[in-house]
Amino acid sequence: MRLEGIHPYFTIVVAFCHCLYRLFSSFKKIFIEGSPLSSEERAAWTSEQTRRVLRRSCAAKGAGGEVSVFIAALLLLLTACQPAEEPVLIPEPEAFASIIYPSDNPTTRAGLALGRDLFFDPILSADSTISCGTCHQPERAFTDGLEKSIGIYGRVGRRNAPGLTNVGYLYETLFWDGRADNLEAQALHPIAEANEMGGSWPLVVSKLRQHADYWPRLQEAFGLTAKKELSPDHVGKALAQFQRSLISGDSKYDRVERGVDTYDELEALGYAIFFDLADDPDGAFANLPTGECAHCHTPPHFTNQRFFNNGLDLAHDLADFDDAGRGAITENPFDRGVFRTPTLRNIALTAPYMHDGRMKTLAEVVDHYNSGGQYAENRSANVFPLGLNPRQKAGLLAFLQTLTDTSFVNNENYRPLQLSGE
Amino acid sequence: MKSYFYFLLPLLLLIVSCEDDDDPVSTEAELSIAFRGEFGEDDLAIQSATYDYPTGEQLKVLLFQYYLSDLELLPADGGDAVRLSDIELIRWMSATEGPVATKTYTVPTGDYQGIRFGLGVKPELNAQDPNNSPADGTLNENEFWNASARYVFAKIEANADMEGDGVFDTPLTYHMGSDALYTTITFTQDFSLDGSNDPQLTIISDVLAALSDGNNTFDISDADQQRVHGGNQAIASDIWNRLANQFELEVR
Repeated sequence: MRLEGIHPYFTIVVAFCHCLYRLFSSFKKIFIEGSPLSSEERAAWTSEQTRRVLRRSCAAKGAGGEVSVFIAALLLLLTACQPAEEPVLIPEPEAFASIIYPSDNPTTRAGLALGRDLFFDPILSADSTISCGTCHQPERAFTDGLEKSIGIYGRVGRRNAPGLTNVGYLYETLFWDGRADNLEAQALHPIAEANEMGGSWPLVVSKLRQHADYWPRLQEAFGLTAKKELSPDHVGKALAQFQRSLISGDSKYDRVERGVDTYDELEALGYAIFFDLADDPDGAFANLPTGECAHCHTPPHFTNQRFFNNGLDLAHDLADFDDAGRGAITENPFDRGVFRTPTLRNIALTAPYMHDGRMKTLAEVVDHYNSGGQYAENRSANVFPLGLNPRQKAGLLAFLQTLTDTSFVNNENYRPLQLSGE
Repeated sequence: MKSYFYFLLPLLLLIVSCEDDDDPVSTEAELSIAFRGEFGEDDLAIQSATYDYPTGEQLKVLLFQYYLSDLELLPADGGDAVRLSDIELIRWMSATEGPVATKTYTVPTGDYQGIRFGLGVKPELNAQDPNNSPADGTLNENEFWNASARYVFAKIEANADMEGDGVFDTPLTYHMGSDALYTTITFTQDFSLDGSNDPQLTIISDVLAALSDGNNTFDISDADQQRVHGGNQAIASDIWNRLANQFELEVR
């Protein structure tokens, strides 16, 4: 479109001024404010090619010097003007507060596709036998059905593989012990873990640099211009982008919340127990026991992302816990035997349960909480004997089944890309 | 050298031209308000301290938290209150945390005669659903009961040793909140803020004082009073009223 009466040069001048402003902003950040640049600005500024031209131009002698400087400045301007790839807007359920995307890793088409392929590619393991998807299988809501995951060379991992349903919504620390601050950092751990994918980041980075498909895609996704710029962070970012796309919001629970479905009698009983409707002395469920579940398994993601001791192991002394859990990270004795509350979305698909997979069925889990668990002085005050009868336990189990979202586990976008002929 | 000159001169002109003019005289100050948790005479220590209860039991506190709405400074000239925050969640929940949580606000300098806040989530915010709040926001889903009961205004959780055997195996959980319980608290105390040598404001809350005022002590041996959640707020009102009355403002 061209506006009548506006000289074409005016548009060029405006565009040039805009570029000049962006260049100025970059220089000001570097030399005046000293603040870190955005990833796009950093990519522009660290462009080896541009800097090389600039150095050469500034070193130029004789009559052509000014011209060289001008060209160098123009190159810088052009680099500064390169548009970053537009973020992909992934639809989210209205009932959820929006995903918090990190400013330095918006989801883009290139990054998302790359992350998906890397997630299911065993190239990330030391011996190219284990991928993220080995332990996080889509049909099991991104778990593996094992007590503890099996890594390279058949090595047994430390803990049960947590599901990844709606993991992008979790803004607090990740892992059973909270050792990763965010998804980008989380993605780096299994690859470096000896009992999981083999612990060789230099090898992984080297493989990706040489890879005919991944290297250009990494370049496209993150604006890399030289192979030496590739770092584990880029892999972590790509994997995080894919994991943020794993959104589940169409379980029966969600549909009932939206008013387009209804619970049967047993599910409704379980719902009432799960959400402590008996707390209302005038309500229809006043005489029911309370399950006390939602204190920690808070909807809509059925986790409050905090750490608790849920009475799994008897500990007269906090030093008695075999697995220190959160305590190993904080080094605080009162955090020993404390683990992160997992999501219950798709929980029926993610057996076995608990951080060490000790419970094979959901019925065992319900029995555990109904018993109040075992003593430790740091056991959550919301874990105590519930007094559920068999029908009430069955109701709770029925409600937990309503958290299964088959459209999520069958979503082709969450599975390895199937090439034609495969 | 000439090359550098041609390249850098326009940039320097740009930088200089964009710098702010002379700084105006500052009329704002950074005010830090400390929120200190206590249990009787002691600083509040989550899990790591053992506290005596007036009726002979011992407690280890696991969680203490409360919402504040409309935290405001009251100008000495009687003018409009200065709003510091619409909503804050003050919380002690980890043994790794100290007894003091600090929040900092930018406020106009001047003379003030006090501070005011509502204990709980004010009705207009309590009517909102948590998905309207940022996922990591103060009013996210973590403190939301359900569509009818709304937000939990305050929580006290502890494990009690009822028999004196050193085993803290009786859980106590008091979760309180409803529009009817929302309480406005006002402290009248003069102070001035000029951006230098400003006084330290500390809002003190005492878990023990919420459970016992010396004359009346909440009976934690009664099994029906060991857990108060959700719609069952009749029992909670006893604790709530003491909680609302025990806040102190310290200006130093």
